[in-house]
Amino acid sequence: MGGSIAEHLIEQVAGRHNEIPENTAGTVRLDLHDGGTTEHWYLTIDHQDVRVARSAGEADMVVHVDRDVFERIATGSPRLVSALLRNDITVQGDVRLLMTLRRLFPGPPEARHAREAERSAGTPPAPGAEAR
Amino acid sequence: MSSELVHVLAGNSFALSDAEGDMEVDPRVPAGLFSFDTRFLSHWVLTLNGERLHALSRDDLAYFETRFVVVPGAASHYVDADVSVIRQRFIDGGLHERITVLNHSAEPAELTVRMEIASDFADTAEIRQPRPRRPVVTAASEHRQLRLCYQRDRFVRETVVTSTAQVDVDQGGMTFRIRIDPDGEWHTDLHVEMIIHGAGGQDVRSSLAAHRQRVHDDMHEDVAGFLARAPQLNGERTALVRAYEQALDDLAALRYLPWSFGERVPVGGLPWAMTLYGRDALITCLETLPFTPELAPATLRMLALTQGSQLDDLHDEEPGKILAELRYGESAAFEEQPTAAYFGAVDTTPLFVILLDEYERWSGDADLVRELRHPARLALDWINEYGCPLDDGYLRYQPRNTVSGVANQVWRNSPDAVAGRDGRQPAFPRATSELQGYAYDAKIRGARLAREFWGDPAYADRLEAEAAALRERFNRDFWLPQREYYAFALTPDGEPVDALTSNLGHLMWSGIVEPERAGALAAHLSGPELFSGWGVRTYAVGQRPYNPVGAHLGGVWPSDNALVAVGLRRYGYDTEAAAVAAAMFDVVETLGGSMPEVIAGYPRRLTKYPVQLPMAGRPQSWSSGALLMLLATMLGLRPCGDNLLVDPAIPEGYGRVELLDVPGRWGHADAYGRDRTKDGRHRAR
Repeated sequence: MGGSIAEHLIEQVAGRHNEIPENTAGTVRLDLHDGGTTEHWYLTIDHQDVRVARSAGEADMVVHVDRDVFERIATGSPRLVSALLRNDITVQGDVRLLMTLRRLFPGPPEARHAREAERSAGTPPAPGAEAR
Repeated sequence: MSSELVHVLAGNSFALSDAEGDMEVDPRVPAGLFSFDTRFLSHWVLTLNGERLHALSRDDLAYFETRFVVVPGAASHYVDADVSVIRQRFIDGGLHERITVLNHSAEPAELTVRMEIASDFADTAEIRQPRPRRPVVTAASEHRQLRLCYQRDRFVRETVVTSTAQVDVDQGGMTFRIRIDPDGEWHTDLHVEMIIHGAGGQDVRSSLAAHRQRVHDDMHEDVAGFLARAPQLNGERTALVRAYEQALDDLAALRYLPWSFGERVPVGGLPWAMTLYGRDALITCLETLPFTPELAPATLRMLALTQGSQLDDLHDEEPGKILAELRYGESAAFEEQPTAAYFGAVDTTPLFVILLDEYERWSGDADLVRELRHPARLALDWINEYGCPLDDGYLRYQPRNTVSGVANQVWRNSPDAVAGRDGRQPAFPRATSELQGYAYDAKIRGARLAREFWGDPAYADRLEAEAAALRERFNRDFWLPQREYYAFALTPDGEPVDALTSNLGHLMWSGIVEPERAGALAAHLSGPELFSGWGVRTYAVGQRPYNPVGAHLGGVWPSDNALVAVGLRRYGYDTEAAAVAAAMFDVVETLGGSMPEVIAGYPRRLTKYPVQLPMAGRPQSWSSGALLMLLATMLGLRPCGDNLLVDPAIPEGYGRVELLDVPGRWGHADAYGRDRTKDGRHRAR
């Protein structure tokens, strides 16, 4: 089956994550749908550590998503919150964990550190842009 | 907003209509029924026998409930109608309108009542020019229901209008053919559900009457509880008490429940900012700690939850950065706007640390400080790592998103707001002055949290050393000795941008100002270039970009003035602070109702009346909150250990001012003040 990309993306998430607060804990199940089949991935988040397993067990939050959509989210575009807003993912349970999940996947690949961006003198901002 | 517009609101849902209660598309204002950044009704017009109705009177029962009395016939005619109509409107998660038709004649009346109904499902980002959409409309007379449904891929928004009375439903609305006995009446209840399909685990709202009644009662209870927990203000100046109560009411109204979080947080305000803005929410919380402290832990937790974690140019996101704006509409969902979680603000991150510390000082809630240690550390790390893109140690901003992002990522966020006396705008990355004050204050406060709660004295020492270095550097590089004030900003080359602005007050608020320089700053803030008589202008007169109707180039912002007043008192300029507070209360007492977001900067002696700006929102959380902060400042409220210190500097003519049951780590305490001139009490602390 062609699950290698999604599998690779999820397995990358296993390990230590200093960007997650120590007191964030919970379990997340990702249900990846592909045609008639569903793959279940189970993430356990505790003390900045993420464990990844294949399991259909009950979790604090369950995310339903098509495999191809997931592969795009997990590589940074669209971001998870936009995907939720456009109903490309559906969530059951503790939605707060979605904001934790958001931190586990990388952002868009082209973004750079501000110091680098500064050195290469970016284009000036569009005139007229304001908050509201 | 024009004065003839009428709103009901609850959280981020609102209905904006004309004085008759009708709603029609207007490119200048978000008229209609909105929730979660989507317009669910764009057309809602009531006719009687084909005629529009005209307003006789209106009764605003609560911020979420209004009653319109309307009659047929042109407004210019003498009103002697045989029939009148009462529209009573209430908003929660949906809109509910009871239409009552009264027959005043001795004859039975045969009438055709029609409600024209349509929705364009516009996003709040495109009110000026909504894109064409083709909702699917389903008219079902047998269910007394009209359904309007818009779908794009899996994104589905639906409006369902249901009548309790028999009705003929067609694609364009609902028609009631009724007969009313002499001196009789007829009514129907129209319920408008706003359905967000599937997303966020949202429940599709039940249409059961029992459920609606419960929500209605809950709202009354929730508001009553919110108001009851706030201190009571008594005083000889009744206009002050009225302004205070209105401000509390606004703050109660402008709270919403985000999808991902279980507590209410402040939205920016009507009509353009009905969602979470990091800056507005943080400032609102800082303003309201002695009054409605419950807003702060909810806001801090929500902002911690949504803290930035990745580098993302579209969303201006960086690890540790605190949110600027969160929206739920179609343009956010499809990333046509970066607002699903937008981080284009450079001040929210230090303000997050400042609020966490200030909240603990008032509440004694050490558990929250421990709970939020990690996000606060990330925020403090962000200041050094990403906030200072040059190697000069100054907090600066340069938008990553140069297409749809915000250019000026500070509270002065209009595109031309950052300019020197000659009008020249500095290059990016820009280091505006108030940012350095916030960064300094965040480090000082972060050090206290590290030492007292996080058991990390080494980190505390490091932060204090960084703060001291920043203070020294700032006082060297920003000070303009000939002009005797701090530069507005530094260019990337370290050249000062020489404009005189109200940022001086923010610097005093943050404590980065050397005490011997505070007198000159207080004189500028109280002088005719900055002080209009109706408050302190954003930008001083006599400089080329000054414009009294320019939002950030001459306008007067209550949220700005509140921080200015606190800054003045911090350095002992009590009379000057009282003058700012008095000017602000004069504005709201003269205008009546809620404090606007901003007013024009014309001199008071010229206009005699505060001039409102058409685009200024009202009510706004941080403007209503500003009145509370000004009140706390005139009473001199300050937590000191486990006690509430009271050190009044009440404006002349205010008489006695009493604030009873101020909540805090002391339980509840009372504060009393009386106007007494206190000249010559200049001291730094």
